[in-house]
Amino acid sequence: MNAWLVAATALILALLPCLWVCARRPAVDALVALELASTVTTLTLLALAQGYRRDPFMDLAVVSAVLSFAGALAFARFLERWV
Amino acid sequence: MTEVVVAVLLALGVAFVVLSCAGVVAMRDPFDRLHFTSPAATVAPILFTVAVLVEEPLSSAGIKAVIVAVLIVGTTPVLTHATARAAHIRRHGRWEDPEVDPPEDAP
Repeated sequence: MNAWLVAATALILALLPCLWVCARRPAVDALVALELASTVTTLTLLALAQGYRRDPFMDLAVVSAVLSFAGALAFARFLERWV
Repeated sequence: MTEVVVAVLLALGVAFVVLSCAGVVAMRDPFDRLHFTSPAATVAPILFTVAVLVEEPLSSAGIKAVIVAVLIVGTTPVLTHATARAAHIRRHGRWEDPEVDPPEDAP
């Protein structure tokens, strides 16, 4: 259990308030919480890859950064027009 | 020495993320909440990337960490703008339409 894994655990615990806002607040507030949660998830994957000394796992963080951007942008467009 | 520097950088990054999450929960308006996503999306990735680079400079992990930080720091302003635009349109309607949003109310 090195510093990276401790940081990853703390980041996963930081996801809980985002989850609460996603579940209990209106749609736009939930979208804000989703964007913060995707950033926290990407940083968690980065910390886990470095903590376990597995360089290929770092690709997961890169993919998560790209895909969470596209997903949140799609949600924003839907909330703007239809939902 | 390297372990201490890495631990301090990680602690600072985690502190920024936790404070951002607390701010998002505490605020009541979506526009207020949006302000609190920025520290977690700008300062924390840079701190984590610096920690990776301190531990192993110029490795494949370090380069990928730099890519992650650039992606997060570059895309979050776009997301913040899109979310604020969606929230504004949901609350006030489209501002091009004079029936929905009268000119004296236009920003």
